[in-house]
Amino acid sequence: MFLDLDKKDRYKVAVIDDSGRRVTYGEICDFSKMFATQLPYRTLIFILSENKIGSLLGYTASLTNRIVPLVLSAATEESLYEHLLEVYRPEFLWLPNHLAEKKGFSSVFSAWDYSLVKTGYPRVPMFEDLSLLLPTSGSTGSPKLVRHSYRNIEVNAANVRCLFELDGTERAMAILPMHYTMGLSVIASHLLAGSILLLSGKSLLDKGFWAMLKEATSFTGVPYSYEILTKMRFTRMDLPNLKVITQGGGKLTEEIFKMLAQYAHDNGKKFIATYGQSECTARMAYLPAELALEKICSIGFAEPGGQLSIVDENGNETFEGEAQGEMLYRGENVTLGYANSQEDLLKGDENHGIMHTGDLARRDADGCYFIIGRLKRFLKIYGLRIGLDEVEGLIKTEFNTDCYCKGNDEKLIVLVIDAKLKEVLPSFIEEKTHLFHQRIEIQVVKEILRNEAGKVINQ
Amino acid sequence: MTNIEKLNKIFCEVFSVEESALNENFSNCNVEGWDSVRQLSLTTAVEDEFDIMLDAEDILDFTSYENAKNILCKYQIEL
Repeated sequence: MFLDLDKKDRYKVAVIDDSGRRVTYGEICDFSKMFATQLPYRTLIFILSENKIGSLLGYTASLTNRIVPLVLSAATEESLYEHLLEVYRPEFLWLPNHLAEKKGFSSVFSAWDYSLVKTGYPRVPMFEDLSLLLPTSGSTGSPKLVRHSYRNIEVNAANVRCLFELDGTERAMAILPMHYTMGLSVIASHLLAGSILLLSGKSLLDKGFWAMLKEATSFTGVPYSYEILTKMRFTRMDLPNLKVITQGGGKLTEEIFKMLAQYAHDNGKKFIATYGQSECTARMAYLPAELALEKICSIGFAEPGGQLSIVDENGNETFEGEAQGEMLYRGENVTLGYANSQEDLLKGDENHGIMHTGDLARRDADGCYFIIGRLKRFLKIYGLRIGLDEVEGLIKTEFNTDCYCKGNDEKLIVLVIDAKLKEVLPSFIEEKTHLFHQRIEIQVVKEILRNEAGKVINQ
Repeated sequence: MTNIEKLNKIFCEVFSVEESALNENFSNCNVEGWDSVRQLSLTTAVEDEFDIMLDAEDILDFTSYENAKNILCKYQIEL
């Protein structure tokens, strides 16, 4: 069974969510069997996810029964969701009851506040080893998805379990959204280890979150989570159960990285920085806790079973010694490839275990990697991946105007010619991407200058 | 600008609303999109504007327009 869920203690609690409801490993297995009686064959399903037990049970039941889910945020903006529906034509949806009602579906069955509904689309043929689809960017609604194999998920879960030394005594705080690769990685690795997941969809500024954190033995966050934790001065709080704090989903500032490393060192806890991408089933590299104070802001080494390398500007690939260039990754967690249409779900493995990460890295003499830049056109703000080409596409379609997006991991900057757009664009982009409008800057320019190759030159 | 005007301006900018929307019902239960990003933007802006340092507890309690006014009173900011 998926993640050996049937080999755990049946009576052990597997998940507690922020409404206080809980489910045991045995109940997860029983639910999967019940799900199979309602949907007894392999097809495509959309899971409109929230960090709730109902959502998680849909995920484990789908993977166990070889039903292929696309996990999406239940808060995906309506027109973007409709677009995905048209492009991929899933036969079923697993969604919160209130959304099923709102969308006017009658449910095949419902449990844990979630409903299984039929869309009317026919059964979807797919590559036999395809297990899971995830959006490439947080919520820009691009139809570009990452295609995972069954092996990808199992091997990532096993690697994370191994590098964090997870066992049944763990109570992991799972706050990252389920539609986010790191969120699913936290879930899969802890279920594989037979731990307890504390699943929360609450804001980190909600008292309920802090009550749950007191019980947790580990916390996994993105840089923005640690900005909030820092603001809340959590290093002065009494959190005796907390053993491990880990981070992924972008680069921490040097200040916060040092503060976390020092806090962990002084309080007998472990701080483990990690690096990963959706394209490689979440985790790819990690910095061992004992090096945190020494290698500030490093992503460390490849995870067990993986291999990192650097291709320098002359095209030479090296695996050790000082070097700088694009970082490559090899491992069994490298996904199959992308999908842009339903037909692409029939495709096999296109990556063959190698991923050009699109990140520029430096490797020091000790073999530690540091991310120093990015070749691909996207930003990471609040852990959201904002594809610049996608945002440009959204603006061009809606307003029929030329524009250019750039920025950094603090701010998205949009160049436009029409001054009237200065007022409307921030709220438009916020509606489509969920990026907070105060992190969007609109610059009105006389013209957007392009060179002969079409590359924008007024940066 | 008076203190209440300063506070209103912060709310209006964070939530993209008119001043008239700010009333006793303006809270995380009723305002769509009131998440940690917005709450932290509010508290950071308030700290900068009024030159105060909010306690962690007060940051958590910063969940409505009414609470915000009460919290500012605790820091001797007259509204």
